[in-house]
Amino acid sequence: MDLGLEKLRNMVLDMAELSQNTVSTAIDAYVQGRDLRDRIFGWSEELRMLQDEVSELAVEIIARYQPVASDLRFIKSSMEVAYGFSRFGRYAHDISDVIGIFGDLSSCDRQAIQQAGAQAKDMIRMSIKAFTERDVELAGRLKKMDDVVDGLYLDFVRKSAHEPEANLKCVVSGTLILRYLERIADHATYVGDTVPYIVSGERAARK
Amino acid sequence: MEEFKIQTEKLNAWFGNNHALRDISLGMRENEVTAIIGPSGCGKSTLIRCLNRMHELVPGARSTGSVLLDGANIYSKGIDPVTVRRRVGMIFQKANPFPTMSVYDNVAAGLKLNGVRNRDLLDEAVKRSLERAFLWDEVKDDLDKSGTSLSGGQQQRLCIARALAVEPEAILMDEPCSALDPIATAKIEELIANLKEKYTVVIVTHNMQQAARVSDFTAFLYLGQLVEYGGTTSLFENPKEELTERYLTGKFG
Repeated sequence: MDLGLEKLRNMVLDMAELSQNTVSTAIDAYVQGRDLRDRIFGWSEELRMLQDEVSELAVEIIARYQPVASDLRFIKSSMEVAYGFSRFGRYAHDISDVIGIFGDLSSCDRQAIQQAGAQAKDMIRMSIKAFTERDVELAGRLKKMDDVVDGLYLDFVRKSAHEPEANLKCVVSGTLILRYLERIADHATYVGDTVPYIVSGERAARK
Repeated sequence: MEEFKIQTEKLNAWFGNNHALRDISLGMRENEVTAIIGPSGCGKSTLIRCLNRMHELVPGARSTGSVLLDGANIYSKGIDPVTVRRRVGMIFQKANPFPTMSVYDNVAAGLKLNGVRNRDLLDEAVKRSLERAFLWDEVKDDLDKSGTSLSGGQQQRLCIARALAVEPEAILMDEPCSALDPIATAKIEELIANLKEKYTVVIVTHNMQQAARVSDFTAFLYLGQLVEYGGTTSLFENPKEELTERYLTGKFG
């Protein structure tokens, strides 16, 4: 079983790295106004397939060895985390799609998106580090960061709702991207939630 | 305070100079299955053999502390160990039907020993016990056959029927499936789930997965000491003690 667990761990870490790159590339492409849809779509598909492989291996380990205790908690968490990473890929793809649909967005105010994007990137990096190093304290910091991204998204929507002169293209594209970033931040928080569970069996209270 | 059907208090047991159990305080609830797990030699069999006063049958064996059955110490002066063993039955690793007896007589033996002679009463008790042991349908036409002519799994269920015939309150099982194939094991496990509706069940097993499948509570013993005791799901998902974690995940020694 130890070999299986090692393989599972490596697969999850591969996914972590790829999903982090995918989201970063999507956010940077937006900021630079580049259309990288095809490349990002390829990565997000790859993440989806990797997630299936993680699930298959996890089920195989459970069926063969009936793991218990920390092994069981790690396997369950690996499946959850792999799902989170595949969602990162999916939202990165959605972000890159926005450029494809709306074209040049350089005239829009992109401050909130850049801020939320930087925050989401940080959260992904931290959630992976917390998961890899089983760092409960680091994982715990994600919740507060998630609130910041939530705030940026809601503020943008509220402000747009009360601004009759707003540029429709900027408002819709901005809302979509902020929404995707908000989802990414949620999933990063869920990745972090697995850490205390793996370490001590403590289940996170979800909002 | 919580009510336990069987409760040990500072139970210690020895074989000669070998101190096999150390200060075990453990409560077993009525209508629940309690599993006792631990590596070979940890004292799990000794522990259940103390619960119906079978430990003292081994030459040189002795124990201190108390075992409460419905709150009364079964080691008090004046308590008849035979009565204790009738109230608390035992099933062993190797099925041990009386070799010269028929299926019927095996089940009726305990009752006859207790002076029951009425044929109708005996018939009724034999049928009821075999039904409760999930064996009736398989042997109802062969009650006169020798008990030892049955398959291993059937013999084990015959022994369970024999134990049930004297209307015990608790059933102790010492590795009841370790000599059985997976199908026979599954039958016994199903039976255990059913038995707990009427009885208190305590099972010793070195098969952790079996403990996880059949029990409501699990106790982990190591070197004669109770390391951890708790609800089975929580003990297997999230053991509190490092030693339990290492044993369950096979990282021992």
